[in-house]
Order: sequence, then structure tokens, then C-alpha cells
Amino acid sequence: MNRAGSRALPELVLAAVLIVAPFVMPHIGGSLDFLQRVLNWGLFGIGFDLLFGAAGLLSFGQAAFYGTGGFVSAWLLVNNIIGSVWVALLIGTLVGGLFGLIIGWLAVRRIGIYFAMITLAFGQMAYFLENSPLSAYTGGENGLPGVPVPSVGELRIPPGRPMYWLLAAFFFVGFVLARRILHSPFGMVLRAIKENTRRTALVGHSVPAYKLAVFVIAALYSALAGGLLGVFQSYMPPDAFSLDTSGQLVVQTVIGGVGTLIGPTVGAAVWLYLRDNLQLIPGIGALWKLILGLLFVVLVVGLKRGIAGEIRFLFGRRRGVAEAGVPEEIGVAADMPPPLVELPMDAPLISARPDAPALRAIDVAKHYGGLRAVDGVSFEVRTGSIHAVIGPNGAGKTTLFRMLKDEITPTSGEVLLFGRRITGLGATRTAQLGIGKSNQLNQLFLELTVADNLRIAALARRRGTFRADVLRGASSIAVVERQVEAVLRTIGLEHRAAIPANVLPYGEKRRLEIGIALATGPTVLLLDEPLAGMSPAERIATRALIHEIGRLRTLVIVEHDMDAIFELAERITVLYEGRLLADGSPEEIQRNQAVQDAYLGGLHEHEPA
Amino acid sequence: MPSAPLLLSQAFNGLALGTLLALVSSGLTIILGTLGVLNFAHGALFMLGAYAIYVVAAYSGSFVVGLIAGAAFMLVVGVLLERVLIRWFYHRPPEDQILVTFGAGIVLVEAVRAIFGGESQHVSAPAWGEGVAQIGFLIYPLYRLELIGIVACLLFVLYLVLYRTSVGLVVRAGIEDARMVGILGINVRRAFLLVFAIGVVAAGVSGMLYAPIVSVDPDMGSTFLVESFVVIVIGGLGSYPGAVVGGIIAGEILSITSAFNSAYSEVMLYAVMALLLVLRPQGLFGSEGRV
Amino acid sequence: MRQSMRLHAMRRRRVLELGLGVAGGLALPSVPTLAAADHPPVGTWPAGAAGDSVMIGITTPLTGPYSADGKDEQLGYELAIAEINAGGATAQQWGLKGKGVLGKQLRYKLADSETKPNVAVQAQTQFIQTDKAIMITGCVSSATAVALEQLAQREKVLNMVGASGSNDTTGKDCQRYAFRSQPSAYMACKALAPVVIKAFGQGVKAAYLVPDYTYGHSVFGSFTESVSKAGWTVSTQQVVPLGTSDFSSALLNIANSGAQVFVNVAFGADAVASTKQAQQFGVTKKMKMVVPNISSFQAKEVGAELMQGVYGTFDFWWTMQDRYPLAKAFVQAFLAKNKYYPRWGAHIGYAQTYVWAVAVERAGSFYPVDVIKTLEASKSQPFDSTLGKVWYRAEDHQLVRPVPVVIGRAPSAMKNPDDFYDVVEIVPGEQVISPPDMFGCHLGAYT
Repeated sequence: MNRAGSRALPELVLAAVLIVAPFVMPHIGGSLDFLQRVLNWGLFGIGFDLLFGAAGLLSFGQAAFYGTGGFVSAWLLVNNIIGSVWVALLIGTLVGGLFGLIIGWLAVRRIGIYFAMITLAFGQMAYFLENSPLSAYTGGENGLPGVPVPSVGELRIPPGRPMYWLLAAFFFVGFVLARRILHSPFGMVLRAIKENTRRTALVGHSVPAYKLAVFVIAALYSALAGGLLGVFQSYMPPDAFSLDTSGQLVVQTVIGGVGTLIGPTVGAAVWLYLRDNLQLIPGIGALWKLILGLLFVVLVVGLKRGIAGEIRFLFGRRRGVAEAGVPEEIGVAADMPPPLVELPMDAPLISARPDAPALRAIDVAKHYGGLRAVDGVSFEVRTGSIHAVIGPNGAGKTTLFRMLKDEITPTSGEVLLFGRRITGLGATRTAQLGIGKSNQLNQLFLELTVADNLRIAALARRRGTFRADVLRGASSIAVVERQVEAVLRTIGLEHRAAIPANVLPYGEKRRLEIGIALATGPTVLLLDEPLAGMSPAERIATRALIHEIGRLRTLVIVEHDMDAIFELAERITVLYEGRLLADGSPEEIQRNQAVQDAYLGGLHEHEPA
Repeated sequence: MPSAPLLLSQAFNGLALGTLLALVSSGLTIILGTLGVLNFAHGALFMLGAYAIYVVAAYSGSFVVGLIAGAAFMLVVGVLLERVLIRWFYHRPPEDQILVTFGAGIVLVEAVRAIFGGESQHVSAPAWGEGVAQIGFLIYPLYRLELIGIVACLLFVLYLVLYRTSVGLVVRAGIEDARMVGILGINVRRAFLLVFAIGVVAAGVSGMLYAPIVSVDPDMGSTFLVESFVVIVIGGLGSYPGAVVGGIIAGEILSITSAFNSAYSEVMLYAVMALLLVLRPQGLFGSEGRV
Repeated sequence: MRQSMRLHAMRRRRVLELGLGVAGGLALPSVPTLAAADHPPVGTWPAGAAGDSVMIGITTPLTGPYSADGKDEQLGYELAIAEINAGGATAQQWGLKGKGVLGKQLRYKLADSETKPNVAVQAQTQFIQTDKAIMITGCVSSATAVALEQLAQREKVLNMVGASGSNDTTGKDCQRYAFRSQPSAYMACKALAPVVIKAFGQGVKAAYLVPDYTYGHSVFGSFTESVSKAGWTVSTQQVVPLGTSDFSSALLNIANSGAQVFVNVAFGADAVASTKQAQQFGVTKKMKMVVPNISSFQAKEVGAELMQGVYGTFDFWWTMQDRYPLAKAFVQAFLAKNKYYPRWGAHIGYAQTYVWAVAVERAGSFYPVDVIKTLEASKSQPFDSTLGKVWYRAEDHQLVRPVPVVIGRAPSAMKNPDDFYDVVEIVPGEQVISPPDMFGCHLGAYT
């Protein structure tokens, strides 16, 4: 099969299943209604899977949007305010999305645990609003009966098979759209957020904006599904808003497979089928929920991928073995290719004034309570130079570095990039202004391929802090692809491009770490201990790489390898106990008595090796 | 506009309600603040505590015996839950922890329903808690008045255990750097187990103390789970003082609002929570860095 | 008034005429010229009545807040179906012939509605689509009742409504295909009002605890209207959200309201919690308590001590077995099978199944239109039931039936663990039923 064909394979299979299902289902003990409900939960779940599966945001409040979309549509129709079901569905969906924007704006400020709690609480708030203050409109606990069916022209779409086709069509479009989103640059950033939120922000993506965007997308899906719920059963139930609805969505998604898009649908089919049939077994009755609860716990503990996830994993592993070779074959690359530095995307986004220093720290200080990690340090980094910052452990190098990129904001003082103040802008904005940084500890997107790791970084510089380009392909931006290939060549990982980062040996991971920083196309590159943990052979190669990069970029390095520093650096800043001890050329530093006394003494005192 | 005595009565009731909410939230906060696990089974454990005292009090006829035996039972439950389930999840993402505790909650609720049925069970207030106290214009149930004192003592004891003993220290150090504490030869695993069990006992004991007041049925926990969340979001994630202050604030909001119109009390609570999230996202006592 | 009498007369004459035209028990009240088999298909008919058995779809909450009532209701349905299938003495007393209904055995499937209307609708839709259910029934809340009524009308499958007290069930949400047996809130309050006025006197100040949902507001409205003639006033109305667990703020307001009577409208777990807390706040000591619609297990759940002296109404209380022979048969059979006295949830399930079976045999067909018309015409030929003679009103499908008013017994007077109430009065349905157009009922089409 050709590439386009195999990429559309899930859509083709889905279309076939949707067409065949209503004819097959009655023969295997299911009903049309069962299929309709599975599709409704499935559509609801696609949005949730983008939120949770792709971006890693576990919401326990999706019912709020399901209910909002449903009740707004139903209210408009039941009260004859809007005659057309389609328009009512559209309005309901948009109102649900708007509600998502408000709740999301509040909720995405916090992550992980907090996010789950806040969404759950707001979900409950929506439930109370529906049931009490707004009951005059929503019918309170009775809901809204009598929602009309839609029509196309003069042709009504009655309950039964026509209604099934309608739901199937919505589901199919929803699925195709979600898959496009997932494989767009936008979706790539979402996956990056799930894999490593901090690094995503560090390379220049506005994480809160993406989170809010996907939250709204999920709310839109929920609201549309809610609207369809009222339409297909001509009744809008109040329990659409209940906590159980949100909980059941989570459970179904986990059973079916998180991050697979089809998982929530599979999970809904399993959950509904087992619920309907377990309780008919004599002696089980109300125990069905206990049994399904136990099943869920076992799934969370054991099968982490869920049903669809396991299938995809088995399928993907077979194909992965055929295409990319056995991961175990990857060893430490001793014969690293000579560095070949070419960085096409280097247009500085800030107008470089030749007279201004690339970076200038003015009296920066960072205090943690009584602890003065960095205490009033000033120095300059000349444009185009390789500048080293050294000092014994605990001297404040890493803290200073983070302030140079404004990952942390100084307690006092400021940092200028080409004469422009960047303090207070945050790490995302400074990345956009052209400061790249590799970290002391690797911050990779471990589950993603090497190429994707670099692509995420390259996309940031190309697309700005946020762009909702949900319909284009992730690897369709030519300049980004050129950048990815150039960096792959530069760090010598071309043969690893399609391999997940987590199977790389350590030395290659280190290079990828530097590569991500490079792929952002920085004008100033900060390298925090780039040689840490490398073998001697890798050190030599990486030193050569740094030297090459230094010819094209302004570099600031923190490093313990003194040989490397004195070979590479044109200027050295020495920190000691949070203060500036010396600043000068390597020769000056070597001659400096204070450095020899304090730093070397300190080195012997503090350094284990 | 309600009369001044009524407003004052409601303000006092808010305090009483708030201390109870603080106790209910404490179990959640202990586990969250020290182990970093958001325990979605909290509501179910609250319910389990209420059933524990129902069973023991029915057999022994004594509330206090029920309380002690019930606490012991909850300790066992906590230990089992940690050993069988939770300990495998300390190193998994928070989302997995949420999912597994959510599932455990469903199982507990349905197991209790399978054993006791869906109807509400009767737990009498202890003999020393029967009757109504009349203090000036304030009419208030004796049991609830006593609860304010009991809860205050319990919260203080919990504070001592968590912040003034080595257990708490070990756990808090263990969260920062589990390997380091391990290298120092301290048994982190046991400390984690202990803290989880304490959190479960706290959830259970609040269920027991609540049992004479509310309807004891399998679904009773879900309201309290949600209210605990609101308290913790207001107070600050994992902050023990935050849970206490957050509880009292929530109690006052609920109570004062109902002096005007009780239909809006819950909605007002969420509105205040939303406002706080805008003004101070980390909660009143939360630090910006955590989670 | 005159006009309605004439209407009744006309209807009676029409039924009599129809009865004349057909021989024996196989009366076809509708379109007598057509045999049942000649009707165009309606809903699950004739497919659902083709075999030697017919299927009944039942939904009751087995999990969720009303699961205790749901379980009770389930046992009621199961008992009635077993008796009808066996065709024993009780079934004959109800007026059924032979085993089963029209010689067909009853099958049923029972699904847990989780106390959620949506789940009930889902389960019943499956029963209708997959199992060709000929009748659907069961619920413990008006929300579910209304949702299933709507479904029944859309699918044209008969719905014998389960437990539901809202005026809307046979008011603005009434449907041609749905019949409700429980007294409406209006009937309950009308029956209760004279009894409490007699007990507590004229010009009483009453405090109300009202759960914030349609049912709560409709009970509040009906009760205050019923007692206003005796000069009762509302000293405070505390509206609380559904599912509240701590009522202290509301009760503080009630305790300070200076009322003499406390009317507690809360239902289910809310009723249990609020009653317990009312006692702790001294409200029950200071005020007499009235519970217009007492939950099935409320006395057992809060303890007999607390319900002592409380006035309220029921759909059915088991001591009514002393008055009605069919009630005795029901209570004794239920007790023997399930080891406790049935509550009114069980009674509704049991009686609704029997009434439907009798109506089908009278219609001589499962054809839903005939069954509906038979039920609508039952005023002229009331059903013998656990409540004596009862009949469905044609205009809104509300069962016209006696309403028992009860008072909580002293624990010392209880003869068995379920002996919580004395039936003070059984008020005839005709006296308390609302005017048929009062709550905006418009029944839908037959086909």
C-alpha cells in the first residue's frame, strides 16, 4: 500500500465498520440504540482523548460541556426559539466551547492533580446551576423532553437507522478531524506538552495557550455530543451534567485506550455491553458495577494501554521491527561522524545591534529566603564569542544560567539581550527572542522520535508562541524540515531519526539535548554542562561540535571540564558562593590569584572527582 | 435582610460546619501534601468509616467503642490499600494515581452496597451528645458543639504527628529525594505506608463523627469528596493549615449565604473558588512551586 | 360541573354499547368492527405479542441514591409476574383467567437505571428494540418517570409508570401511553391537609424545608394551597439543593422561625439526613413534623423514635391489608418470599403489573391502543385491587384511588420491626383528585 493509503487506513477501517455495524449488530445481540449510544460516547470521548491522551490533561469535569451543549440546543428547540436543529446544534456547541474557554482559562493555570480537582469542582458547579438556579430553563431534574429530530430540506431524519447514519456521519467527521489535529504541528506541540511540559515551554511554545486551546476543542466536542444526545433520543437528560458522566467518560477512555482516539469508543462499547448483559445474569443484578469497577482497577494496574492501545502497540511493534530495525542493536556510537555544522534557520528575531553585547547581566541576584544563590553578578557576553561560566558546585552557575534565559526571574537586577531587557518575559518569550538552552539534566521528549524531538523545537521558532494550525501536516513546513535535517546531521543522529528518544544510549541523548536547543535556531545558545556524563571519545567529538557551533553562534557554557573550557572559551566568568570572583580571558583567569585560591581550593573541597 | 441574631447564629454555624469540613479534608490533604497522591477514594473511605461505626456501635452499643474499633479497622484498610495498590503508583504519573484511586472508590462503594444494601443505616448520636444547647439567642445541637472541640483536638494531634515527629519529617524529606533518604538508612517505605494509613484513618474518623448527623448510605461520600476538593483548592494544595482555614471559609460561605437564600449556598461556594483561582491560583496557603 | 356529568354519562353509555356488541370477556372497547390482527403495527405490536410469551421491560435504580427503593420495587414486580404466570388464587381474585396473560407467559428483563433518567431511557430503548417489550415500567423518581413517558409515547409502547409523585407526571408531561398509580403531590396534600388541620388547629405558622427540584416545589405549592383555607401561614421556606448532606444552615433558620409545624418535603437520603438533623437542632421537639410524602424506608432509616407522631401520606402501607383482601394476599406473599413487609415501592410495582394484566385481558389483546382505551374506560368498570376499587381517569391517566394518611407509631406500640405507622384515615380518591386540566395535561395521539 502506498503511504497516503496506509496513513488513511484507520479512516477506511472506521468507515467500513460504521457502515457494516447496523446490519451486523442485531445478529450478535446488540441494538441500534446501543450503537447510537456508543457513537455518542465516542464523539464525546474523542475530544476528551485529545485533552487527556494527547496533551495529558486529566479532566473530571467534561460533563459540564456535554450538558451545556445539550441543554442550550434542547432549550432553543423545545421553546421554538430556533426552528432548525442544525443551527441549534451549532449554537449549543459554540456556547459549550465558550463555557470551556472560561473554565479552561481558570483551570489550565494549574497542572496535574490540581487540574483534575478544579475541573471536577467546576463540573459540580455546572450540575448545581442546571439543577437549581437555572431549572426554569433546563427543567431541573426532569430535563427537557420533546427535542425534535433534524431534517434535510423537507426530509425528516427519524429515529432508527436514519438517525444512526446521522450520528455515524458526525462521529466519522469528528474522528477524521481529530486525527488531523493530532498529526498537525499543533498536535505535535500537544504531545510535547504531555511528554515534557517544561521543555516545551523552554523551546518557545506557550504551554498555557496550547492547553487552553485543546481544552476548548475538547469542550466543543463534548458540547456537540451533548446536543446530539438530546436530538437522537428526543430527550435531554439532567444527568448529562452529573459527576458520574465525567467519571464514566474517564473510565471508558482508560479501558479503551488513552491517546488512540478510537479508545473511548471501544471503551464505551465494552462498558455499555458489559453493563447491559452482566446485570441480566441471575444473581449479579446490582453487582455489575462492582465487577466493572474491579475490572477497571485491574486495567489501570496491569494493561496500561487499554484495549485499543494494546492492539496498536502489538501492531506497531511488528511494523516497527520491520522498518526501523531492532532497538536492541543500538549501541554506543563510538565512531561519531565529524561535525558538519549547517544551521539554515538562524535569522535573529531581535535586531542585533553590533555595538551591544549579546547578553548582559546587570547586578542580578536570586535569593531563596535567607539563601543567596546568586548575589549581584554583572558581566557581558560579546556577540559571536564562546563564553564560559565556571565555579565550584554550589557557586550559583545553574541559577545564573536560568536567569539568563529568564526561566527564573531574578530577585533583583536585570538581563539584556542585545540591549533589550528580557527579565520578566519568561523562558518561552526568551526562546522566541533567540536564546536557546540545553540543560544539565536531559530534558527530552522520551516517547517521541529523535526527529520529532527536534521538530518540536524547530516549530517553536517558526510558528511563534502559539498557532492553531490544526489542519496542516506536522512535517509539511519545508523550512522546519530542513532545519530538522540540518540539526540531525550536525549532531550525527541521522540514522536514529525514526527511533524513540528513550532507546538512545546516554551519549546520544546528550547530543539530542544539545540538538533540541540548536533546532530552535538560537542566536545565543546556553549550554549547561554539555559534556557531563560522556565517554572520553564522545567528549572529544562534542568539543569539536561546540567549537563549530561557536563559529556561527554566541555561546555561553557552564562546564566542569577545565581542559575543554580553556580550549574553547574566549572569555571566562568565575562564580564563587553566588558572587562574581573574576571575569576575563582564559589567560587572565589562569593567572588570577583569587581564582586559584578560592576556586581551586573550593574545587578540592567540594568536588568528589 | 435577616436579623442580626440570625446572622450571628449562621456565622457560628459556619464555624462549626467549617471545622467539620476541615476534618473531612484533612485526610485528603495529608496524603496529598506528603505523598503527592490525590486520593479519589477519599469519599468512599469516608463512607466506609461511617459504616464501620454503624456496625460496631450496633454490636457494642457504645459510640466511643465504635470510634476506637472503627479507627482500628480503617487503619487495617489503609495498610491493605497501600500495600496492595497504592505503593505501585508512587512512581507513576499523577493521572494514574487518580485513576487507580477513582477505581478503588467505585469498588468500595459497590462492595458496601452489595453487603448492606442501598438503604440508609441508622447511627445514633452518643448519649453525651444528645440534646440542644441554648446559648443566649443561639440554639445549637449539643453534639455539634462538642464536635467543634473534638475536631479541634484531632486536627491538633494530626498536626503534631505530621510536623513534630520524625515520621512527618522522613516523609517530607522522602518526597523531596526518596533515594537520598533511603541511602541514609531510613525506611521510607514504612513511613509512606504509615502516612497513607493515617490519611485513611482521618477520612474514616470524619465519616464516623459525621455518621449521626447525615444519612449513612453507600453514596454518601461523593458530596464530601467534592467539598474536600473545593476546600483544598481554596486552602492551597497539600497545605495542612490551608485545609483548616479553607474548611472554615467554605463553612462560612455556605452558612452565611443560606441566611439570605439557601438555594444559592453551593453555587456561591464555587463562585468564591473561581474568584480565588483568578486572584491567587495557588490557593491561600499554597506555595507557587508545588505541583 | 353539569357538562362534566354529561360527559361521564356519555362515556358510560358508549362503553355499554361497545360491551353489548361483543361476546363474553373478549371485549374490544375500540373500533369493534376490526379484529386486533387487522390493525396496522403499533410500537412493538404485533411482533412483541407473537410468541407464546410477552416481554416486560423494567428499570429500577439498583445503584445510586434511590437504590433501596429500587430494590423494593424490583421485588414487587417479580412477585406479581410470578403470581400471574402461575395463575394461582391471587391472580384469579384480580380477575385474571388461567396462567399468564391471555394465555401468554410474562418474561421480563430488569435493568439498573442507576437513578439516572438517561440510563433508564437507554435500557428501555434496548428492551423495546431488541426484546420487543410489550410494556415498560419502573422508576423511583419523577425525572425518570417523565423521561420514560416521553419514550413510551415516541415508541408507542405502553408505560405503567413506577414511583413518581410529581404533579407533572399526569400534568404537563402526561402522555397517551403512560399511566400513573401513585397519588400526585396534589392528591397527597389534599388528603393530608384536613387531617393535620384537625390535629394542629387553625392559623398555624409552618416552616418548610423544600428540596430545590420540580417535585419539591410542587409539593410545597400543593400543601400550602391546601392548608391556606385554615389560615396556615408560611413562616419560612428553606430551599436547599438536591443531594445536600448537611442541612444545618437551613435548620437554624427554621429553628429560629417561630413556627409551630415543620413540613419536611425532602425525599430519600435527603429526608433521612434532614430529619436526623432537625431532631438534633431541637426542631422536632419544638414543632410537629409533617412529611407530605414519606420515603419507603424512612422510619427504619432514622429510627421509629424520630417518626413518632409525624403525619404524612403514602402510596400504600402494609397494614392496609386489614382493609383490602387483595392487599392481604400481596403483603403475606411478599413477606413469605422476602422476609420483610413490602414498602410502597414494591406495592407500585406489584399493583401496576396486575392492573395492566387485567386491562390486557379485558381488551382481549396486547394491541396497545385497545389496552389504553380499556384503561381509560375503567371508571365504568373499576379494577379490584390492593386499594379496593380503582380506575384511571381518561383525561390525564391518573389513577383515582384512596390515599392513606398515616401517623408514626410510638416504638413501644410496634408489634413487629416494620410496624412503624398507624393509618389514620383513608381518603377516597374522588375527594382529593385535582381538576383534570389543572396541571396542563394534553395526552398525545393513540397511534
